[in-house]
Amino acid sequence: MAYLLQHLLTDSAARAAQRPAVAVGERFLTYAALDQLSNQVSRALLAQGVAPGDRVGILSPKSAAAVVAQYGVLKAGACYVPLDPKSPAGRLATIMTDSGVTVVLADQATAGQAAAMAGSVPRLRAVIVSGPHWGRPAADRLAHGATPQGPAIVPWEAVLAESAEALGDDLTIDSDLAYILYTSGSTGTPKGVMISHRASLTFVEWAAACTGLTAEDRVCSPAPLHFDLSVFDVFAACKAAACMTVVPENTSIFPARLAQWLEREQVSVWYSVPSVLTMLATHGNLPGFDLSRLRTVIFAGEVFPAKHLNRLMAELPGRRYLNWYGPTETNVCTWYEVPAGSAELTAPVPIGKACANTDAFAVTSGGDRVAKPGEEGELYVRGSGLMRGYWGDQEKTRRMLVTNPFQAAYDEPAYRTGDLVTLDDTGNYVFLGRRDGMVKTRGYRVELGEVEAALYAHPAIREAVVLPVPDELLGSRLRAVICADGPAGRTDGLTREEVLDHCHRRLPSYMVPDVVEFLEALPRTSTGKVDRARLAEHGK
Amino acid sequence: MEEVINDYISRELVQDASLLPLGNATSLLETGILDSLSLLRLVVFVQRQFLVTVDDVDLVPEHFDSVDDICAYLRSRQGGRAGQAVGHG
Repeated sequence: MAYLLQHLLTDSAARAAQRPAVAVGERFLTYAALDQLSNQVSRALLAQGVAPGDRVGILSPKSAAAVVAQYGVLKAGACYVPLDPKSPAGRLATIMTDSGVTVVLADQATAGQAAAMAGSVPRLRAVIVSGPHWGRPAADRLAHGATPQGPAIVPWEAVLAESAEALGDDLTIDSDLAYILYTSGSTGTPKGVMISHRASLTFVEWAAACTGLTAEDRVCSPAPLHFDLSVFDVFAACKAAACMTVVPENTSIFPARLAQWLEREQVSVWYSVPSVLTMLATHGNLPGFDLSRLRTVIFAGEVFPAKHLNRLMAELPGRRYLNWYGPTETNVCTWYEVPAGSAELTAPVPIGKACANTDAFAVTSGGDRVAKPGEEGELYVRGSGLMRGYWGDQEKTRRMLVTNPFQAAYDEPAYRTGDLVTLDDTGNYVFLGRRDGMVKTRGYRVELGEVEAALYAHPAIREAVVLPVPDELLGSRLRAVICADGPAGRTDGLTREEVLDHCHRRLPSYMVPDVVEFLEALPRTSTGKVDRARLAEHGK
Repeated sequence: MEEVINDYISRELVQDASLLPLGNATSLLETGILDSLSLLRLVVFVQRQFLVTVDDVDLVPEHFDSVDDICAYLRSRQGGRAGQAVGHG
């Protein structure tokens, strides 16, 4: 039985050694190769002094080299922290410092970027280059030798010189951390969601069974490593000895190009946020492509507007359509399958029922009882799929990972999702909205407070409010309303461009406001609070 | 035409001010200016501005990777009626 994520790989390598594990265009890594290369990475990590429980950064887009790195870290008994190469350096430094990363696995193209982080992360002592290098830009200067003051650079050739033999005994147990995913934090800094091997496997085992994955499947998700959707294609595909296919970074921007790629790659199971699927349905020219291999379409991360889902199902009939729901803290915790042959949808599909080995229940606003069907409540989740907590933040962990109020006999953790739901007459949960200032945009969680905190860091900004603007395609767009610190409330020369540039240096692009407005003063309620409702009305 | 499109992209789509002023040959993909949403906004803009219809099959990087690429594509769609901007806004 697999009780650590890397067992999925060693098991598949033992029974399906020559099957493709990760495909990038025409090239692919077999399970045997992935197993051996990740063994070499694990040995390179140990050679750099990485010990069980250490956090190792992975600075890479999704690629064969990134998957080799993920398994290499796990085999070394360490825990990986995905670092988005597109994130501003300041945010990467915050995440690396917070999680205590001292060694980073990069690829040929990001090694220089990783080494440069030493300026703001003095504890960074080594950058190891993972491989293979397929379709990535040529090596930069830093990737081939140590820099005088910076971290040691271990090139891929040195990794390949390590033994490909497995390390031997497992270095971790199933309750140890497998990875930490950083998500938006309301106080202005991202927070690290700690996921153990057991929690991840709870999802992976269920997901592989739910989708009926086999070794014949070709699985794809465009989600980057720091987004929890990527746990599915990296690990569930591996459990089934299926092939994970890596979509080129810019392909999913162009719908017809994506459709063409899906046809060529013979993708059979797709998993993404709804907006990518909406683009595919509305601009993908789907009848022009043979997508007969595509059997299952999974979406998660935000509400799929009914009219776009209808269009997709009309363009691609006869497939399974699955809505998966769950914050990063719970993995996927509920799911819903759109019934085959169902009539045209008039409302977003439900988030459904709890996954295997998971319990989900709605609690009334008083917090003292489970909501009745039809009644609104906040969704709580319990089970082995829950996170261990937020890295280095026990106070926040205690607030979100509460004691199950309905288990009197012993302490059991339950996660408060902050999502308001109701149970419909078919026994499925329906998502109603949020309890707090978190919104979803492009499937990513954004705490409005974190964007506001970034705005307040600008010396000329006196007050700032960020409001969600509902957007059919994205979930929400972000609208910033700003009072500048000029005389008599004038913007004092502060421009939209300067505000955006300021945000861009601190926040990932999906958190940068789409709209910037200047006001002389913010409207207030009678209690002196910013009148968000009036601002929202004003923005319509 | 280049100026109108460059101005729109600079004003509405560029988030990173260090990319400004935007060169007409600058890759909108490599600089991360284009994502799936900004592409759609750009298409809506050029369709309205230049009275052309952008077919779904034409939504490819070859036509949208730079201001120059977009203009070359639009000129081919307009059949030589280059630069006939309709209004400004």
